[in-house]
Order: sequence, then C-alpha cells, then structure tokens
Amino acid sequence: MKIYKKIILSLVTVASIVFTSCVDNNDYTLPNIIGNEENKALNAVLDSINNRTLTLRTINEVKQDWFTSRQAKQVNQNIVVKGYVTSSDATGNFFKEFYMQDAIENATSGIKVVLNQTNSHNQFNIGREVYIRLKGLYIGETRSGDNDATIGGFVENGGTELEAISENQIKKFNHILRSNKSEEIIPLNVKFSAIGDQHLGMLVKINNVFFDENLAGKTYFDPTRSFDTDRLMKSCEGFDFTEFELATSSFANFGGSALPSGGGSIKAIVTKNYSRQLRLALNSVDDVDMNGDKCTLLNINDFTEIFKEDFEATSGNINITDWTNFNQEGTRLFRSYSDRYSSSRATSIGSFRSNDTNTISWLITPEIDLDNTANEFLTFETSNSFADGSELEVLISTNWDGNTANLETATWETLPANIVSDSESFRNWVSSGLVELTNYSGKIRIAFKYTGSGDRSKDGTYEIDNVIVLAQ
Amino acid sequence: MRNFTLTTILLLCCIFAMNAQNVVRGIVINSDSEKPLQGVSVNVKEANINSLTDANGSFTLKGLTDGKQIVTVSFNGFETQNFPVILSGKEVDLGEILMYEDISEDQDLSTITITDDELSDDTSAADNISGLLQSSRDIYLRTAAFEWSSSFYRIKGLDSENGKVLINGIEMNKLYNGRPQWSNWGGLNDVLRNQELTNGLTPSNYTFGGVLGSTNISTRASEYRKGTRISYASSNRSYSHRLMATYSSGLMENGWAITASGSRRAGNEGYVDGTFYNANSIFLSTEKKLSNKHSLNLTIIAAENKRGKSAPHTQEVYDLRGTKYNEYWGYQNEKMRNSRTKRVYEPILMLNHYWDVSNKTSINTNVSYQFGEIGNSRIDYNGGNNPSPVYYQNLPSYWLDRNNIQQAYEAEQRFINDGQLNWDQIISDNKNSSNSSDPYVLYEDRNDDKQLSINSILNTELNDNIILNAKLQYSKLESDNFASVTDQLGGSGYLDINRFASIGTNSRQNDLLNPDRIVKEGDRFKYNFKLDSEVYNAFLQAQFKYNKVDFYLAGDVSRTSHQRTGLYKNGRFENNSFGKSPKQEFTNFGTKAGLTYKITGRHLLDFNGGYITKAPSIRNTFSNSRENNATVVGLNSEKMLSADASYIFRSPMVQAKLTGYYTKIEDATDIGFFFLQTAFAEAFVQEVTTGINKKHFGAELGIEAQITPTIKLKGAANIGQYTYDNNPNVYVSSEDFISNNNALGIRNLGTTYLKNYKVAAGPQKAYSFGFEYRDPDYWFIGATANYLDDTFIDISPITRSDAFYKDSDGLPFNNYDPAVAKELLRQEQFESYLVLNAVGGKSWKIGGYYIGTFASINNILGQEYKSGGFEQSRRAHYNQLLEESQREKRLFGNKYWFGRGTTYFLNVYFRF
Repeated sequence: MKIYKKIILSLVTVASIVFTSCVDNNDYTLPNIIGNEENKALNAVLDSINNRTLTLRTINEVKQDWFTSRQAKQVNQNIVVKGYVTSSDATGNFFKEFYMQDAIENATSGIKVVLNQTNSHNQFNIGREVYIRLKGLYIGETRSGDNDATIGGFVENGGTELEAISENQIKKFNHILRSNKSEEIIPLNVKFSAIGDQHLGMLVKINNVFFDENLAGKTYFDPTRSFDTDRLMKSCEGFDFTEFELATSSFANFGGSALPSGGGSIKAIVTKNYSRQLRLALNSVDDVDMNGDKCTLLNINDFTEIFKEDFEATSGNINITDWTNFNQEGTRLFRSYSDRYSSSRATSIGSFRSNDTNTISWLITPEIDLDNTANEFLTFETSNSFADGSELEVLISTNWDGNTANLETATWETLPANIVSDSESFRNWVSSGLVELTNYSGKIRIAFKYTGSGDRSKDGTYEIDNVIVLAQ
Repeated sequence: MRNFTLTTILLLCCIFAMNAQNVVRGIVINSDSEKPLQGVSVNVKEANINSLTDANGSFTLKGLTDGKQIVTVSFNGFETQNFPVILSGKEVDLGEILMYEDISEDQDLSTITITDDELSDDTSAADNISGLLQSSRDIYLRTAAFEWSSSFYRIKGLDSENGKVLINGIEMNKLYNGRPQWSNWGGLNDVLRNQELTNGLTPSNYTFGGVLGSTNISTRASEYRKGTRISYASSNRSYSHRLMATYSSGLMENGWAITASGSRRAGNEGYVDGTFYNANSIFLSTEKKLSNKHSLNLTIIAAENKRGKSAPHTQEVYDLRGTKYNEYWGYQNEKMRNSRTKRVYEPILMLNHYWDVSNKTSINTNVSYQFGEIGNSRIDYNGGNNPSPVYYQNLPSYWLDRNNIQQAYEAEQRFINDGQLNWDQIISDNKNSSNSSDPYVLYEDRNDDKQLSINSILNTELNDNIILNAKLQYSKLESDNFASVTDQLGGSGYLDINRFASIGTNSRQNDLLNPDRIVKEGDRFKYNFKLDSEVYNAFLQAQFKYNKVDFYLAGDVSRTSHQRTGLYKNGRFENNSFGKSPKQEFTNFGTKAGLTYKITGRHLLDFNGGYITKAPSIRNTFSNSRENNATVVGLNSEKMLSADASYIFRSPMVQAKLTGYYTKIEDATDIGFFFLQTAFAEAFVQEVTTGINKKHFGAELGIEAQITPTIKLKGAANIGQYTYDNNPNVYVSSEDFISNNNALGIRNLGTTYLKNYKVAAGPQKAYSFGFEYRDPDYWFIGATANYLDDTFIDISPITRSDAFYKDSDGLPFNNYDPAVAKELLRQEQFESYLVLNAVGGKSWKIGGYYIGTFASINNILGQEYKSGGFEQSRRAHYNQLLEESQREKRLFGNKYWFGRGTTYFLNVYFRF
C-alpha cells in the first residue's frame, strides 16, 4: 500500500501547486509610480540646469538666438526651453502640434512644437509645464516664411520646412519632458487690432466680440470646404469695428456646431494659416462665450479731443511747449520730419549711425488733466523704417514732476497700445487702437520711450504721428 | 418511390425469414463491480447485426446465418472482446461475459484539441468541430479531430453550426450563431465521455441533427463507472496545468446514483504570448431510480472559463515578431496583462425524466435552464490613440510608404524591442485627464443569456425491424447585450459618445435619452439591447433494419422567431433603435433519408441524402444589432442540399471507408464590420452579403490495417473543393449614408463576383499517415505525418463588387485595367505544410488501482504555417489595391492566423 500513499501524496502536492498557481487575470493594481521614468529624465535635466551643463533659456531668447524666418537651424548647444502648453488636440482642431508660451500668466512669447504624436493632449494638456531639450532639434517654420517659430525634429529633404519630432526623439531620447506642474493658463487680454506675430502661440482673450452678421445660422466649419474654414469675427474698439478671422479645421469635432449669434468674449490661440496669415484657432467651443448682447460702438460725436498733437508745426528736434524730448542714454532725440507717404509731418527716432553703445530716448507729453472728463482714450499712429531689435514703448505716469532727473523714480506703466510690428511695411501707418485711460485720474503724462543702440541690429527707426486723447 | 420501398421491405422480410432460427444470447457484466452493464454494443460484423444490452446486461442476437461467425462485444471504456461461434440453427448462450476496463482509452480524453482554446470566436478561422468527433471510432473522423484540428480543418469544409451538440437530448448550439459553446462544459472530460456520435446525415435517436451530424452527451449518473479518478496534466498549448478529479458512486442499493467532478485548468501563458488561461469547472449529477420504469436525473454543470485572446497578424508583423507574438498584452506593474480576455460562465441546470414505458418504448423528458454571462474585453479610446502596437501608423510600412527610411528603421526597432500594449501610458493619460472624460477605458462586450429548453423524446421499437423516434422541443432565449465598464484604468469617468461625430449633433450620442453620460466601473454604455428568440421544433424518424439493408427516413419542422428590443435610443438611428423591432419569423423544415446495403458482411454501401432549410441565426438576422433594429435586407432561410455515398470495407485486418460527398448551400448570409476607405465613402460600415451559394464536394478516405497484433497502420485523406457557386448581392450600411429616404443608411453595391472563389474553410486537402504500436505490456507509441494543402484566405466581398473599379461619380477609374485587376483580386493560397505528431503512454494496474501516463508532442518539426486568414477590407478600390501591391510592405495587408510550433501535453492519472 505504500506506493499508493506516495501517489496520493504526490497528487496532493501537484494539486496544491495547480490551485495556488494563480493566474494574473484579475484585480490589477494601478501602477502608483506612473511617470517615474519620465520624472527621472526630467530630474536629470533639472540637475543639469543646476550644475550648468544645460542652460535654461526662455522662449524669447530661443527665438532671438535661433529663429530666422525661411531658415531651419539645428540647435547645437546644450539648451533647454521651458513653456506652458496653450493648445490641445482633443477636439481635432490642432493635429500633431501644440503651442506653448513662456508663462502661465502675462505671457510675452509663444512657440509651436510639431511632434509625431496624436492625442498629445493626454500628456501635454493645456497648462502643462513642458521642458524641451533643444540640442539636435530644429528651429524654423513648418510653412516657410510664415514667421511662426517652431521646434521640429527634422528638416524636409532639400528644403527648409520642419518635420515633426519623432516618436523616438520623444520617448527614447526624451527631448520633450513634462513636469508635474499643470495650471490653468490665464489668457492675455488683447484687442483684434493689437494681435501681431508677437502673439503667435499664445492663448489670448478678446472681449466685445461677435461673429459677422452674415454668418447667422452657419457653423464653425463650412462642410463644403476641404481644409480650414475662416469665420469673420468683429469687435468693438471704440469708434470702429475691428475684424479677425477664426480658423477651424475640418477635423475639429465642433466644426458642425452653430456659431453663436450673441456677443461676448473668445479665448483662442494665435496661429498662422496655410496662406501665412494670422488667425485665431479654438481649443474648444467652451472658450467661446457669446451669449450676451453684442457690443456697440462709441459715438465720435459724444467725444471731444482734450489733447492733440499732429507735429505739423514742428521742425528739427521736437521742441513743443511743455513737451519733454530727452536722451537718457546716447545722443539721439526725437526729430521732426515730413513723411512722404502720408504727406504730413511727424516725429521719428532712431539710433542709426549714432555710434552710441546704448540709446534710450523719451518723448513726453505735457500734463493732461483727466479729472474733468470721462471715458478717456489715447490714440496715435506708428510706422517704422529698417525694423530690427530696437523697441518703442508707450508709457503713462501720474506722478512724474516734469524733471528729467526724476524720470527713473517716477512710476511708469506700459499702455497696451498697438505699436507697429517689425514685419510691417515701412510705408504703412498703424493705429494704436483706442487705448483706454479710464483707469487713470488726475494729471497724467504719456511717454514714448525708444530703446536701441548704434548696433546694426538695434538701430531701427520708429515714427509717431497724431497723438490724441479723446474724452466725453 | 413507393414501389421501391415496398419491394425493399418485401425483399428484406424474406431474407429475415430465412435465418430466423439462429439466436445468440448472453449477459455482459463489469469485471470490477460484477454488476450488469447496460447499453453494451454486441454485433456480428460479417452479418451487420447489432444489438445493445438491456438494464440486466443481457442481449439477444437474431437473424444470423448458419456457419462460423464472430460476435463482437464492445463498450466505451472497456476492452473489446470477440467470440467465435458456430451456428447451426440452435440457440447459443455465451453466458456471463466479463468486460475489462480499457485503460488505454485515457489517451483520447486527455488530448487538448482546439476546442480548449476557441482562439477567437469572432473570426471564422477559429470555428472548429473537432469537439464533435472525439468520441468517434471512425479512423477518418478521429484523424480530423486529433491530427488536423490544430490546422482548423473542417469536415466537408462546413462550419460547426452544421453539427449539433446535445446534452441529454437538449440541443446546446447557441441560437445566436448556431455554434456550440465548448467552454460551457470544458474541463469535464471525465464525465462527458458517454457520447453518441452520428456522422453526417445518419440517424440519431435524439435529433434530426445537422449536415455534419450530432453528438449526444449523456450525463445520467447511473451510467458512470463507479470509482474515483484523479489526473494531472501539464502542457504548453493553452494551459500549463490541469487537475481533474471525479467520483462516481454507481447505482446504489437505495436507487440513488451520484457523480461529481471538478477540474481546474490554469496557466499564465499558452503557446502564444500573453494568453493566460484560468478555468474552473464543477459537475454534479444525481439520479434517483423511482421504479423500474421511472428514473429522475438532475445535472448541474458550472464551468467558468477566462482566458487571454490572441490576434491575427499581417505578414509584416509576422516577419518581425514570429508566430508567438500577440498584440493584446502589455506589462502592468511588471505583470503581463491581456486587454482582450474572454470570460464565459453559463451554468446549466438540467432535469431529466427517463420513462421506460415498456421494454420496447421509452419516453425521455428533459428540462434545461442555462443562464450566465459571456464577456469579451477590450479597450475603448474616445480620447486617446488606438493603443494597439500594430496600429498601421506604428509599423515600419507606414514610414516606408512615406519614403522615410530612418523613421521606418526606428519604428521597426521599437516594434521589435517593445511592441506591446503600454498600460502605463494608458493609465498615466487617464490619470492626467483634466476634463471629466478619460481617454481610455477597459470594458466588456457582454452577452447575458437565459435559455429555457423543454423537450420530450419518444423512442419505440415498433417491431424487431422498425424503430420510431419522435421529439417535440421548445426553446426560449432571452439575451441581454451591452457594453460594460470593467476597469477605469486610473481614470475618473468616461464619456459615452461616438468620438467621430461632431459635438452637439445627435449622432454623437449612443443614447439620446441619456446624452453625454459619464460612465464608471459597472455602468453600461455604448449599446444596450435585448434579443428574444423562440424555437418550436418537431422531429419524426423511422429506422428500418434488415439483413441486407438498413434504411431510414426523417423529417423535421421548426418555427423560429427573433426580435430585438433596443434599450438605448441611438443618435445615429433615432427612429429605428429604441423599442421593439418587427418580429422576424421563419418556418423551416428538413428531410433526409439514407440506406445501407450490405453486399456481404465485408463490403457495404451507404447512401445518405437530405434537404434542410435553416432559419437565420440571430447574428445573421440583424445587420447592426448593437445600434439599430435593422434586419438584413433580403433575408432568407438558408437551404442545404447534401448527399454522400460510401463504400465500407471490413476484414479482420483492414478496415476502410471511402466516401464521396456533395453539399450545396443556398441563400447564406454573411455580415462583416470594418472601417472602409474607398471612393464613395470613408466610414465604419456593416457589409452584408446575401444570397450566397456555395458548393462543397469531395472524397474522404479512412483506412486502418492491423499488420501484426501490435502494429497498426493508419491513413486518412480528404480531397475537397469548396467554392462560392454564384455571384451574390452585397450592400454596406453606415450612419454616414443616412438621408431622408434612406433611414437605415444602406448603400447597395449590387453583385459581388464571388463565383468560383474558394471558401475559406481550412485545408481543402488533407492527408495523414501513421502507425501505432501497442505493446501487450500496457504501453504504446504512435506517430503520424500530416500534409495539409489548399488553404485559402477569406476574401472580401466588397472588393469583388462594382465598387472596386468605380470612382465616386460612378464611372470607372481612368486607369482601370482588367488584367491588372484580375491579378489584384487573385485569392491568396497558403503554402502547404507537413506536421508530425507523436503520442505514447503507459499504464499499470496494481490490485484495484490504475496508474497511467500519456504524452503527446505535436508539430515535432516546429513547422510554421498559416492556418487561416482574411483580407482587410479597409482599402477596397482598384487604385488603393494597386498602390498596396506596389508597396514594399503593405499597409493593410491580409491578416493571418498562425499554427502553433512544437507543443507537448503530458497527463498522469490515478484511478481507484
């Protein structure tokens, strides 16, 4: 009988093996270390930044150093750029690309990233902090000449246009890394008239917007079109309507939704279309809030000009009573000149051939009293010549006493005026738009501040004309 | 006809009368239990006279001619015995015949055949009837079951829906697709061995059957051999371990009999990567003998089966990753997880009443209730990428097509080195989803069926020559069908929408009554509907047995109804999805007859013919049951005309059977689902082909020769040709085609030119040759060589329709060249291949204990072969196929199923 006992014993052993050999087909626990690999790679990047083997650059710096329209440059330095994602491909309006900007709030620059990955919103969602290791990647354009600075993985054969960052570049070589940080982007408030190339890739918000009356009953996407559909939006900017097109892809899942018939605000990304024109593009129709009343224009008859200077009576260096024309650094002052294209006199400033190391020049209005009026607006016009890295700003102060020695100690705030962009033709005059001054009271001064140098890349010329303050 | 029948009967009566005086009697007894054995087959082969023992084990053979005859006594599970008798007009009493248990039989029940796997029931390639054939003693059928089943060989090229599986007289084929669900009783081999197989149209006492025949499995507790059996098996085919234990009390003195069995089959991985197997089965049968005439039996079968599925692949994937590759799994927390699992749990309760009205007549009444769940899991990705590692954009071919060699190389390296599902990414994306909809969710497609079946079977011997069988049956099915979230994969909620539709539109909604629903674990979503089916069925059969001729006639009538009830108001089909569909009703009949003519006891001729109409299965009735109530346009019952003729040769040394067969199928329906990108549409479509005719004909041969008492040579062959026999109609339907006067979105494509294309039905030619050595010392070995040929790919009807060469405006493509087209539409034939299999075993009997072991090795040479496949219909027009043919690697190439390489199975058992 011994043998049977042995057999039974071995069978019992086998049985227990079979029954305890559990099969992993149920009750999976979620990996709680999700993203660790990725975080490891990111931490390595952050460490390298700390010990200076990698340099963290802003989007602005990267664009300045590496971006030239109609060229593709391969980055050969150990630099990394950080940004916050502004666009999402969740609705299909963006495809194999995302934009990012340099800050969650008050962004100053944006850049496009093209990548061979669909549904990238699952990793690079709106507001996600993203680091891109640039060495080996390319900076250029996906449509040559559109000035939409882009980070790509390759350059097309025999051309300059960028191709997407490959799956290997993303996953194996960890070029694009995200951090745990993801916050809600606060869009930059802009007006249609102010939108320019400098806003490319940024999430912007425009108030007082409605879709053109002719579009009543239409949808975001025109089903008879093959690619994008442009829908005209209008906005009330003071006395005039300004216009801008909203471009919607045929692949956007909201393309069939009806355009709202009311007025309100829109949050969208500033992009370029196939014809290299500026367009807005939506992440989602949730960003369109146009259920209110449409805005109405101000009536010019209700306003009077409480201040006006058209420079017609000037000559030489600007020298108008109570105005200040001051060269804080360098030798250059604002001068009067006669503009050939507008057949009018205006003022210009530029550091061309100045040999100055730095140029900072101010042209400041007399005191303007805002206490006895309401709804004040500033308007002026700008033009440029030899556009380059020089800058023109419009500032306001309520406490400068008129003494140039105290310029630095006074409070100067930048006004959100539309100033001619470098890409604008030198012949054109660009309106500043109606710059609201209603938040200011008392006696104010408006200053035009030019920053440049004798350096060839920073010696452009700006022209200013028709500085007017309107009020009710 | 009438004259012929009359003449035959008269003729047979005379033959019968001439030999009335010779009688052989005996009683058959189990050598172990010393109890009488019922149902033992006693026959005289030369005279073709058969009988079964009654409840007392006794038998009587009549009608024998004078002279030397051999009486053969055989019973499933026991050694066959032969008794030479010399007859001279007197009664011969063989007395008590002791039957010894055959311990070599364990071989049969141990072998894993394809029914253990049912690899992927969604595709035609996995359909297999080998489970039907295992109990057969016919050499050809056994070869088909044990040697060819892994090649997806099909008898006569026919689907398993043409073979009926019955348990205690209740038909177990599913009303949904007509096929038996083997998982419902898998792992209970010990207790399902009492099988009666009828091959082809030959008569069964239980059912009219299908063209391929029927198998009735009896689970009557008193019929089991008393004792306990424990076995353990190890394998690398579908499971790694199997443990099985069975106890049977036999009929006890108090009139009770109990049989219980349980098994567990488990494995983390089968032959194919990531295919886990996890199955537990329980069986209980109790019988109470109420009186000599009445007996009640209760059977409970509860088999739970869960396993990981494997996928068919393109040539490109095979070239990179081989036959074991499976796209469905990936690592999660360092464990393999398969995203596509099949879970079956459908317990069966059965109550059977056996009533021996007299010793000539029995009435058997059965009630069965089956209920439970089938769940097939997969990942849904409303907001994410297709997670499949073989999604066409992930493969090198995608980049080669774009002339980007570097990316192609990188994609290839990624696919070779990783190439599995990325669970971590999926879960990370789900955790990251900020808006209230997760990109991914794991869910199950569920069929929760409840089926009630009631029948009564009459079996009566009108006289010594005529047996009458009759049956009335009623079945009612309630089927609940829906998708259900099983794992949110780290997400917080999943939006139930159709992602491809624009937001704000109705077609985005799966249920307009509950739009934009966020679903969580356990919630139903996507689709939700009920199916109700009823079948009334009557069957009548007469079997005539005479000395020279046996013949039979049978008829069958049924009434079938199917109805769908939509529980969701689908936004794509607002007016046609919610509520009840029109009731689809079908009246069908079948009739068959056959004759066996015994030239001598050694030479027999057998003829069978039948004409059967079959109600469409539920699957073929509703063209898009998940979304709407639409029924197939032009839906008809399928008609089958089948005939065969056999020559049977029996000598003590050689047994052989040669059969020629012919089956014509008319009005068959086929429904496919796929994403179509062609000239007239880019849409997810249902492709419905109706009025398909097929012609299957060929010849089968089975031969075995007992060269010496220990060596047996075996051979089997089939040479068949299965073709489409007409040019049926094909249409596609999609929500994209819906218009005011086309509420169902049907686009008729007209004729599809299928005639003379081959039907994808496994190898159409198969040959097997082998030997068996059976040592008197209770061990044996055997080996076979199998050659399989003429396997064809399943063709796409849409590419054979006019839509193939017409541009979107209905005019032919400018560059259309019929000669090129013919080449593009040529049906792929797979390479023929050779598979070597070997078996061996040994058993010991020590006292009252039996110990045995059995092993088999399949595909010893590790031959890699394609066992089946299908054309992808995604790119369906001339220019697309032309482009594909010019690509170095096809983007949407044919998908193939691959056979297993070398596998083993090892079983040990212990019985007492």
